[in-house]
Amino acid sequence: MLKKDFKLAKKENFNVGGKIHVRVLVAVTTVLTFLIFAQLVFANNLAIDGQKLSQVEEEIKNLQAENTALKVEIAKASSFTTLSQQANDLGFMKPSKVTVF
Amino acid sequence: MNRLKILQIIIIAVALSIIARLFYWQFLANIPSQSSSYSQEIKLPASRGQIFASDNFPLATNQEAFLIYAKPKEIDKESDLAKKIAPFLISEKYATAGANLLEEQKKQKETEIGKKEEEITQKIKNKNLLWVQIGRKVPKNIKNILDELKIKGLGFERDEKRFYPEASMAAHLLGFVGSDKFGDDTGYFGLEGFFDEKLKGKSGKLGLDKDPFGFPILVSKYRTVEPKEGESLILTIDRTIQYIVEQKLKAATEKYGAKQGTVIVSQPQTGQILAMATYPSYDPNLFTEFNEKDYKNPAVADTYEPGSTFKLITIAAALDTAVVSPQTKCEVCSGPRQIGGYEISTWNKKYYPNSTITEVIQHSDNVGMTFVAEKLGTDKLFDYIQKFGFDKNTGIELQEETTGVIRDKEQWRQIDLATASFGQGLAVTPIQMVQTVQTIANGGKQIPPRLVKAVIEKDKQKPVKQPAEKQLISQKTAAQITEMMVNAVENGEARAFKPKGYRIAGKTGTAQIPLAGHYDPEKTIASFVGFAPAQNPRFVMLVRFTEPSSSIFGSETAAPTFFEIAKEIFSYLAISPKDN
Repeated sequence: MLKKDFKLAKKENFNVGGKIHVRVLVAVTTVLTFLIFAQLVFANNLAIDGQKLSQVEEEIKNLQAENTALKVEIAKASSFTTLSQQANDLGFMKPSKVTVF
Repeated sequence: MNRLKILQIIIIAVALSIIARLFYWQFLANIPSQSSSYSQEIKLPASRGQIFASDNFPLATNQEAFLIYAKPKEIDKESDLAKKIAPFLISEKYATAGANLLEEQKKQKETEIGKKEEEITQKIKNKNLLWVQIGRKVPKNIKNILDELKIKGLGFERDEKRFYPEASMAAHLLGFVGSDKFGDDTGYFGLEGFFDEKLKGKSGKLGLDKDPFGFPILVSKYRTVEPKEGESLILTIDRTIQYIVEQKLKAATEKYGAKQGTVIVSQPQTGQILAMATYPSYDPNLFTEFNEKDYKNPAVADTYEPGSTFKLITIAAALDTAVVSPQTKCEVCSGPRQIGGYEISTWNKKYYPNSTITEVIQHSDNVGMTFVAEKLGTDKLFDYIQKFGFDKNTGIELQEETTGVIRDKEQWRQIDLATASFGQGLAVTPIQMVQTVQTIANGGKQIPPRLVKAVIEKDKQKPVKQPAEKQLISQKTAAQITEMMVNAVENGEARAFKPKGYRIAGKTGTAQIPLAGHYDPEKTIASFVGFAPAQNPRFVMLVRFTEPSSSIFGSETAAPTFFEIAKEIFSYLAISPKDN
């Protein structure tokens, strides 16, 4: 092989190697870009879901608290202590005599 | 150098700098308070189980409450903040409108506010602290008031607080919830104490990573352990009977000037306790305002010399072993007796020669009882005392239950046999006496007293297994004692108070209180125990007064109270005289 032919072949080889390198780089960059983008979307969704979950949990807590408060109110209002006081205030009296037939 | 190499160097440099930065945050940076707020394990408290009466009314439930904290760094003037919030954080007993407070109470309230102000100021003075607790278990209405004041540096954390809707009703039975040394809710005394582990449930854990805004990051494990809600209890307590008993007991304790009064009502066929009350009582919502001595339930924790009510046990043993019959005549009842150097006399110094055993009970004759005891002997009497269970707990589900005080048989002398026969020289608890009379009312079958009918776990109601019954004395013996008790009510000292038309079986008891080695004749424990209707018992009841001052005798204090309560129960349970 002539010296000139050898140089040409080397240059062509280099061009082929360079082209492959560039393709790999482009592919890796694309995949990385896609992954970064996916990560961003995923993280964003997680943040939104976390916020939503937080809101739902807060709502559950509020409803439970309201439920508890209402139960306590019912218990207070229907306790014998309260009812007898109200009956007294309204002038109700116990029967002085009970007759059994 | 070509562009490719430059790019490679840049990528490696960026990667190295990221690794270096991460290394710094992970190992070198010292940011403890911040880092813990991003990743933390939060305790999820379990809701405490409720306690319901037999009509499903909650006698103990939970209400929303708040923990109040302050951030000292954000507070400019400590005294201003303390002044604003102190009036709301003092005892709830001052929560009534100002006009309703007495002059003395108003002064006490002012002093309390002053103390609270000082306490809060001291707490928030230390600016190095990130967070200080100002108040615990603060009710929602108070939290709302403080919230409206919009005080900078004040925060609230949601919590739960035990609430007893009927206030002091059945307080001794329920107990209360306080804090243990770690600040966790813990039940003390009564059912709250006995069932603390069941009622409190199991707290959960929240393994949580948070973003800088405090929202959970969902990539990591979220809920690690769910909290397990406490189990709830359904009691055998009949709220109406409990209310009747408490009202009548309060009136009677005041009327007779007694230091204390206790009443227990039970259903003999099941051993279920229908009511249990002691006066004076306390409000478990405000338990810290009461003397610690008031916390124990005297119905199960107090031992006392039962006096003449114990004659029922001696007679039961004597009849069951056939050493006497109801018609056996007392051969030593003509006057006082000398036994072991002590004189045994009757309570009213009246003597009835040749009286039958039925009449001995009718007259509550101590001398006649020594005759029965001698026929019986120490071994047999002691055996029956043990059989009836006076040397052990009844097993009722109350934390503070104690046992009676019965000396070893080897220590019994002749005088001990004599005094034990009429209920002196030994001590029992009120619940043990109820268990014994239940046995007589139940045809000789002993059923231990019970307070819990069912347990609710995860919304499922499970009935509690009934305790096993034991035939302790024969049916014949039980019937004979019942007749003697009916005769004692019909012809005894308390006959004037008895409701007309009803056959009630009962026995009075008046026991002097031993003080410093001798008996004080003016200080007694007066009691009455019985059941009704005699042939078909619907309830057993014990009434006991400690040191009544208007009269020292059970026949003039405890017996009339028994009959007063019985009349109301007859109406409530629709028991007519025909049911005798």
